[in-house]
Amino acid sequence: MSEKAGGIGKRGGFWRRLSEKSELGIAVPFVLLIVIVGIVNPVFFDVDNILNVLRQSSFTFIIGLAMTFVLVGGGLDLSVGSVLALGGVIAGLALLGGVPIWIAVLLGVLAGVVIGLFNGIVVSVFKIPSLIVTLGMMYFARGVVQVLTRGNPVYPLPEAFNFLGQGFLAGVPVVVIVAAVLGIFAHVVLTQTAYGRAVFALGGNRETARLSGINVQRVTIWIYVICGAASGLTGVLTAARLASALSNAGTGMELQVIAGCIIGGTSMFGGSGSILGTLIGVAFMNIIANGMVLMRISVYYQSMVIGAIIIMAVGIDQYNRKRRGMIG
Amino acid sequence: MDQVVLRMKGISKRFYAVIALREVSLDLRRGEVHALVGENGAGKSTLMKILSGSYPSASFEGEVEIEGEAVAFTSTYDAERAGIEMIYQEISLNPELSVAENIFLGKLPRRRLPWFIDWKRTHALAREALAQVGLEVGTTQAVRLLSTSQQQMISIAKALYRRPRILVLDEPTSALTDRETETLMRILHSLRAQGISCIYISHKLEEVFNIADRITVLRDGSVISTTPRQEVVAARVVEDMVGRKIEMMYPKVQLPVGQEVLRVEGLTVPSRVPGRNIVENLSFDLKAGEILGLGGLVGSGRSEVVNAIFGSHRRSAGRFFLDGKPVALSSPRDAIRCRMGLLTEDRRVSGFVGTMSIRENVSLASFRKIFGPLFIRRKTERWEVQELSGQLNIKTPSIETNVLNLSGGNQQKVVLAKWLMTDVRILFLDEPTRGIDVGAKVEVYNLMTELARKGVAIVMISSELPELLAMCDRFIVLYGGAIRGSFQREEITEHKFMSAATGVL
Repeated sequence: MSEKAGGIGKRGGFWRRLSEKSELGIAVPFVLLIVIVGIVNPVFFDVDNILNVLRQSSFTFIIGLAMTFVLVGGGLDLSVGSVLALGGVIAGLALLGGVPIWIAVLLGVLAGVVIGLFNGIVVSVFKIPSLIVTLGMMYFARGVVQVLTRGNPVYPLPEAFNFLGQGFLAGVPVVVIVAAVLGIFAHVVLTQTAYGRAVFALGGNRETARLSGINVQRVTIWIYVICGAASGLTGVLTAARLASALSNAGTGMELQVIAGCIIGGTSMFGGSGSILGTLIGVAFMNIIANGMVLMRISVYYQSMVIGAIIIMAVGIDQYNRKRRGMIG
Repeated sequence: MDQVVLRMKGISKRFYAVIALREVSLDLRRGEVHALVGENGAGKSTLMKILSGSYPSASFEGEVEIEGEAVAFTSTYDAERAGIEMIYQEISLNPELSVAENIFLGKLPRRRLPWFIDWKRTHALAREALAQVGLEVGTTQAVRLLSTSQQQMISIAKALYRRPRILVLDEPTSALTDRETETLMRILHSLRAQGISCIYISHKLEEVFNIADRITVLRDGSVISTTPRQEVVAARVVEDMVGRKIEMMYPKVQLPVGQEVLRVEGLTVPSRVPGRNIVENLSFDLKAGEILGLGGLVGSGRSEVVNAIFGSHRRSAGRFFLDGKPVALSSPRDAIRCRMGLLTEDRRVSGFVGTMSIRENVSLASFRKIFGPLFIRRKTERWEVQELSGQLNIKTPSIETNVLNLSGGNQQKVVLAKWLMTDVRILFLDEPTRGIDVGAKVEVYNLMTELARKGVAIVMISSELPELLAMCDRFIVLYGGAIRGSFQREEITEHKFMSAATGVL
């Protein structure tokens, strides 16, 4: 909100501007949710609890910020959950083989990059819908994981590696620090660079983007590489958190991530979305889960609530779009 | 004849701060064709969306009466039940369904057991409906396979079948061929005899003067005048529309032509049918400050020529020389690097990005300018776009406004601004004035002249012969993908042009 006051054609108060920015329409219910949960059970505001929520959110958020690129660019990536497992398993196997930790981490991320590169090339060069390519990849990558592990967990992993998922730096979980750094980076790339602008253009209208001199193939490939890398990294962090790489890690992650993005106002139709929105969306889901525990509501209701919120969030988004696009 | 079927009284509608309609009143008599004209953004569509129930009665001020009774539509369904049918400029058929299914969509004839469809009767009735509009297509054919004009005729057949009391036609002829337009005019005459009333929206004033009983001009959301046909003066209507006297429709200034900037040799564009070409072995040159008219009928390969040069359409052969030096143009990126720009035929499909603001759309092709080594230069971007927006007179509260909120003419100016921001030397304009209002057209012509003065070379494609002849210095007329005639401005006549375009010459 660093827009200069009295700038060109800016009108209305802070709240109105906020609610008109569709991606942040969720901000108001988000604050409300925090207040309600906090009032019902003040334990919510304990530092430990907050750090716990942040840590849980971080895993989803790291993939979520990459998924924001994918969705804004008009695509979809269903393979993230399987790539997560693959990244963890590759890193885990490397560690068991005695490779230094930083190289193992790099290999885990690299596995994601390779898959992303493949997804991106197939989507952009062969023009196969991303839904189909990444659905196939979701099965394929999971299969690779199962072949590599025969279904067995990969452990024990070195303590120093596990620090990445379990440790704290200056009282803050390492995972949260990683997520924060990546989040800021992603936000800057998406809003301040030519690449970010190209992603928005691509998702809004591919043909116009191409005719305006944007290298749409390269932009598309990078989108999926980013998403693969983020998934691989999250896999490494998840393995570190659990002190073992599991072959079924990240099952269902793709839908959880997409749900977070959508709740955060990122459009399924491409061309709009924000990292900040995704952060709020992901946190929203985790606070609901956390809040329901704190409020002693059965966890069995959790999915129902999240489902209802997704539908509401998309409903609000559609309503806003309709209202804004009406003049003419 | 004088009985009033529809009366809209004191209709006002606003979108946030923008007033779309201000105290508009309109009445429609039985059996009357009432034309509604005005620039894009004048409020015609908004008014019709109120009539069709797209804007529910709570969202605007004023009253709508049908046959003297006040009505309050809450949805388009209510309006349909009241006997109002709409035919839109953009075709709203389901492309995957058959012709018959489209005509009867939602009202398919049933058998005695009402959950079974009586297909035999459906097709028989569909044939009748098609006969009424003189269209000869199979009723089982998928609409997707038909031409745009055939689809438009089906929309008309569909609306007529529902026996409306009031028929609203929004730019119905923009997709029709001349013959079909004639058929439509005949149909409208016969509707008049049947006592069906029509509201007819069109940019083509000739058509309006031909068919309308009364003409209402809207401007900036207000009714400027309502005139019976007998008293209509064409010049007055145009003046009412734009609110100023149009001294000169085509502000053509003859300018000295400079050096050759682009030469095209042996351009060949393959067709989807193997072994055939849309454009064959085409060569021409283009000079600085020149406006070259690329003429021909639809399908002659005009659009393909410019798209193939720009790298946005496949080509199988062709060499290009920029300032006499050979250049490789294999993608729009290359073309933009050579300071070329292409305004495409359909701005919605390939001109602007609907999810972006004016600012983002205008700077879309100028990343080199607005992005530093890493980050965006916000001030540069805002300042440059603001400047262009003012220069092109884009009517908007702010450059942060979404392009979709602009009228067609202003959207077109946004696309033009995008190319101006790249400092184009060669500009391809494919139907630059399609679907924009008179005022915006004149602004586009002015801009073209201004650019030519600065030495920009322009290739213009237009289906509107008068504007093409008036604006260009030189003409190349295509027929079947090859040059059939080339003329200088001094020697061209409509007759010569059409002879070449139809292959008679």
